[in-house]
Amino acid sequence: MILSLGGTGVSDGIAIGRIHVLSSGELELPEYELEAEEVVGEIARLRDAADRCVEQLREMESGVGAGSGDPAAELLQVHRMMLRDEVLVGEACQRIASERINAEWALDRQAASLRRQFERIEDEYLARRIEDLDQVVRLLQRVLAEQPDRVLDERVPHQLDETIVLAEEISPAELTQLHQRNVAGLVTEHGGVWSHSAILARAYGIPMIVAVHRGRRLFREGESVIVDSHYGAVLATRDERLHGHYSEKLEVVRANRRRMQRFLDEPDRTRDGERFRLFCNAELVPEIQRCCESGAAGVGLMRTEFVFAQRQMADEEGQYEVYRAAAEALSGRVLTIRTLDAGGDKLPEELKRMRGPNPALGLRGIRMSLAMQDQFRTQVRAILRASRHGPVRILLPMLTTLEEARQAREVIASCREELASEGIRPDPEVPVGGMIETPAAAMLAERFAAKLDFLSVGTNDLVQYVLAVDRQDELVGHLLDPGHRSVIETLTHIVEGASRAGRSVQVCGEMAGDPRWVRLLLGLGIREFSLPPGQLAPVKAALVGADASQCRSVLREFLESGEEESARSLFEALDGSA
Amino acid sequence: MIREPVTLVNRLGLHARAASRLVRTAAEFESTIWLERDRRRVNAKSIMGILMLAAPVGTELVIECEGPDEEAAMEALKSLVADRFGEAE
Repeated sequence: MILSLGGTGVSDGIAIGRIHVLSSGELELPEYELEAEEVVGEIARLRDAADRCVEQLREMESGVGAGSGDPAAELLQVHRMMLRDEVLVGEACQRIASERINAEWALDRQAASLRRQFERIEDEYLARRIEDLDQVVRLLQRVLAEQPDRVLDERVPHQLDETIVLAEEISPAELTQLHQRNVAGLVTEHGGVWSHSAILARAYGIPMIVAVHRGRRLFREGESVIVDSHYGAVLATRDERLHGHYSEKLEVVRANRRRMQRFLDEPDRTRDGERFRLFCNAELVPEIQRCCESGAAGVGLMRTEFVFAQRQMADEEGQYEVYRAAAEALSGRVLTIRTLDAGGDKLPEELKRMRGPNPALGLRGIRMSLAMQDQFRTQVRAILRASRHGPVRILLPMLTTLEEARQAREVIASCREELASEGIRPDPEVPVGGMIETPAAAMLAERFAAKLDFLSVGTNDLVQYVLAVDRQDELVGHLLDPGHRSVIETLTHIVEGASRAGRSVQVCGEMAGDPRWVRLLLGLGIREFSLPPGQLAPVKAALVGADASQCRSVLREFLESGEEESARSLFEALDGSA
Repeated sequence: MIREPVTLVNRLGLHARAASRLVRTAAEFESTIWLERDRRRVNAKSIMGILMLAAPVGTELVIECEGPDEEAAMEALKSLVADRFGEAE
């Protein structure tokens, strides 16, 4: 039999484990009236309880490293402020005096009155703050009742790595404690995507499902369950096929993680000692944080199309917030921001109208930016402002003429002056690089390299333009071969040109994220790769195990022999051999 | 007593983090500080009050400061809002 309960998955991942139900934390609240002479003592009791709660939260904050950017620290601080807020404790003290009632009762009444005010809020995020109020009040009530903390309760297992914690709701403080004990997964009856604990679960990568109504009535303590937060499902079943399926999935995730850990700890050197650097293609803060944890040298490609897809983000302030958050998350590592490379369907109406008959060959990338300079300036200003929060590089997409590179640099210089006149001083050394993704830019790589600070090869577009194959077109898709001689000779030309101009070349695009092709790129002399975060482990494994000089000679043989049209089989063989 | 209007320009409006920074700033001053939105008026040193204003981006607020350091308080709060609650960190 399967019992499957649906809720809202607020983070990604799978967890398998046994249910532990956190006690509801509901207390029998004593309610009694006071004699006049008891009032002062009762007020002191409430004040003292509030002090102890504040102290408890402060300790927890230093535990997670306040100020180190841990997402929990700031939320714990909000709770601390609520405890210090006179609207709560101060007003409750007033009630003790004026209504002559005990602390618990006064607090409960004051909380109810605040809750009514919160309930009137229409904003979904802010209305959720009622949860924070409830959590703070409950903490305070527990301290008043001298009841133990429900997470530190001795009935809760010390290590939770095979435990799914089920509760009516979970506060950020509790989630932090559970995380420190490696909790496998979380299920709550209440809450939403914007609950503070949901935000934390995402940041910590804990599978969590909220809004599983009546969960505590339906699942038993110690019952074995599967939490699939991608689908928002909690499954209690003995069905072996289902267990087998999820165990396998979880094993794959774990094996990858172990593999990743093993390779990610190694130095960035090939078997024969050549250095390389791995960057990530990433946009969102948690993603960027994970990249840093995995040892990436920075972000090699931050796409910005998503910023323009949401109107409220597209203005200078909105963009600045996004870029600044990314720069801060990198704590000193480089952030490469690619200016708008419009071409898809995720664009605002005004941009969609500008689509020509063949978007791939139309007004996109730098062409659009130079055609709509106001928008380009807005983006450049936001990027330059973000450069005050960490090393930032600008990357220009879809270059075909040197004139485009010159004009773009001119715009950047003029934005810099404009900012200076407003008293804002960006990092004086924001490098400007260009995407080499058209045959024109590839042919002129040396000249582009001389005009720019670095080059980044976008292999997806380059391969598609060199081979004249649309990768969306299933009739010709099989012709899209990154190992085609024409592609390899083009890449060779780019690397040689850039090196004559004294510039390095980074490769982003699918080739850089594919263990087979990175060895070919290594043979070409590429040492910087930017790839999706999930590919870091396999790519690093391929590079650490590679012999760069062997890759070079395999490549040289291929180029000289002229017999094979594709290097695909050569490098697939190389991949298997090492 | 001084009063001045400001407009929230950070993307999320007065969300929890912004509210907590606002309270921390207000608490540095001796003056009494009020925030007004439409006809609602809250103490700027109360995080609950600020959260209850539920002010999203674009909201116009009036800041009112009264006390010995009211000018400095006004200045600090205005620049906090203009800096989107954190640029100065």
